[in-house]
Amino acid sequence: MRALYEDGGALLRARSLLWMMARREIAARNAGSAAGVVWAYLQPLLTVAAYYLVFDVVFAMRLGENAPTRAVGAFLIVGALPWMAFCDAVSRGMNSLIDSGGVLQKNPLPPALFPARAVLASMVIYLPLIALVTLAYFPMHHFSPALLALPLLFLAQLMLCMVLAYMLAILAAALRDVLQVVAFLLSVGIFLSPVLFPVTMFPEAWRWVLWLNPMSSLVMGYQAVLLGGNWPGAGVWGGIGVWLAASVVVLDRLVARSRETLVDWL
Amino acid sequence: MAGATDVALHAETLGKGYKLYDSPRARLKALLTGRTYHRSHWALAEVSFELHRGQCMGLIGDNGAGKSTLLKLVAGTLQPTTGRIERRGRVTAILELGAGFHPEFSGRDNLYFAGALIGIGERAMKALEASIIEFSELEHAIDRPVKTYSSGMVVRLAFALVTAIEPDVLIIDEALAVGDQHFQKKCVERIEAFRQRGCTILFCSHSLYHIRQLCDVALWLDGGRPRAFGPTERVLASYEAHVRAMDGASGLSAPKSTVDATVGQLVPADRRAGIHEVRVAGLEAAPPAGELPLLEAKDLVITVTAYVNADEQPSVGVMLEQLNGVGITSVTTHGDGAAPERLADGRWRATVTFPDLPLHTGDYVVSAYLFDSRGIVVYEEWQDCVRFKFVYPTMTPGLVRLPHAWT
Repeated sequence: MRALYEDGGALLRARSLLWMMARREIAARNAGSAAGVVWAYLQPLLTVAAYYLVFDVVFAMRLGENAPTRAVGAFLIVGALPWMAFCDAVSRGMNSLIDSGGVLQKNPLPPALFPARAVLASMVIYLPLIALVTLAYFPMHHFSPALLALPLLFLAQLMLCMVLAYMLAILAAALRDVLQVVAFLLSVGIFLSPVLFPVTMFPEAWRWVLWLNPMSSLVMGYQAVLLGGNWPGAGVWGGIGVWLAASVVVLDRLVARSRETLVDWL
Repeated sequence: MAGATDVALHAETLGKGYKLYDSPRARLKALLTGRTYHRSHWALAEVSFELHRGQCMGLIGDNGAGKSTLLKLVAGTLQPTTGRIERRGRVTAILELGAGFHPEFSGRDNLYFAGALIGIGERAMKALEASIIEFSELEHAIDRPVKTYSSGMVVRLAFALVTAIEPDVLIIDEALAVGDQHFQKKCVERIEAFRQRGCTILFCSHSLYHIRQLCDVALWLDGGRPRAFGPTERVLASYEAHVRAMDGASGLSAPKSTVDATVGQLVPADRRAGIHEVRVAGLEAAPPAGELPLLEAKDLVITVTAYVNADEQPSVGVMLEQLNGVGITSVTTHGDGAAPERLADGRWRATVTFPDLPLHTGDYVVSAYLFDSRGIVVYEEWQDCVRFKFVYPTMTPGLVRLPHAWT
């Protein structure tokens, strides 16, 4: 764990730089457009609004008997928003090292800064959106004390994204094909998650597939809190813990093995 | 002379090995399995040196000798494979200027961000901002996006930024070619001022003239290994011998058969900055085909005409070499306490006379140089501008007729 411990320390020492880089990344993504940073929030917000309009207002679709909520749109939004945040953070984080090759080759900076910056910049955008959805779902959770689980879930998602993004960024530096493979996995991953359908609607024999998706437990956690006002069950926390621990171990290995040559690959 | 306490830079058996993989696939496999799939290529090995405060080390060597790798190791952008390096104080590297700038943001925004990358926080930058902008002379453009800057402007801003805080160790990679003459001079003056206040400098350049001017010691790298380290003049002498031997082997300066230029003239005498004309007086007007013009006069008189943009007196230098590259002598106006004269059209002219040219028979080459008044900035070097033949009727072999006396 020494390699990761060193990187964590470096991130902590450079936290003000990290924060500045994250702020600038958000500004840079929309630099040159008239609405500027508003776009960053508007895109996911409009997507969510479209779900609501299409599924709940126009078609008024209903889920089955065992579902935690009847309205399809309302159900979809709770899972889709964290999933979009995950995809955004992981794909941007994965590209961050390759994109910053020039800067890294000229400045003595810890490489971990760059995936961390990308993930942080994504999360800064999605955090207020999730808070907004939480307010809008008041009729379902009635501000139950279970809402206290939300910051924990969000923090776990932030950690998971940072670890996975850094891991994929190193792999992508070694072999660019990783970018394509992961982009594909992220686009089909939503079908291997309980975002579109509640777990209960998945055939019993295929449910194990859901655990291959690192976001499954987190999505279930969000659904439990926001849709029912319930504290997420032990399975949720266990799933998150296993995914986090496993990816931390893998990341540590990768960091230790690539430490000396990583910048040369960019 | 100096105690161990003022060591600013200490490198010990520094080495950098690159892992070469046959394909990126092998790279990924090595990463995932932890096994070895690479061949090692040592870009740098066994480099040890120690520099004290205020010392300046020149780094020379052929292309691919490991100079850039060493600079990056010292700067900290590369991790050494073997050995260690100790740096004391703030290290600033002028490697590639302007790399961290974002084209969509204004120069001012970029200052704050690029400043953060090199350790200048927001508050420190507020204090430094005005002086950086002033030095870069970009007051009128600082709030425009950097994408509208010319490449020279970007480099000016970047240089002003990285040198805004006085470093303890400064690493320069051929960066003296910054912008126009005027700004180049400012840069060199700033670096010179750092040095006088005790900044340690690591300087890599192909210009041996600059290394001679600036450096106390020199390190010659050859194939990634140190070939010579010590006082500049000694190292440069053996390096120059090596370069000459290499050129000789590859036939680079084998005498060309048809050179008929008796007067080197680059362009019409317009306002182009640089050397306009180099004239050698008394050359045979129409030499036989395939032969160099003969110097018919007894004295060698060389006149250099040049123009500089800045309204300052330049210095002019002239070098005399054998055609096969063996240097004979070089003289400069600043070195001899002389000065070029100003012509009515704003150009500068200097004439040097070697009375009763004390050379043996042979083919000779004249090169001309244009410097700032103190000879620190080389505005232009014009190698091999005039060639001539000189005949001294004697049977005894030799190169130079030294003043001598029999007793």
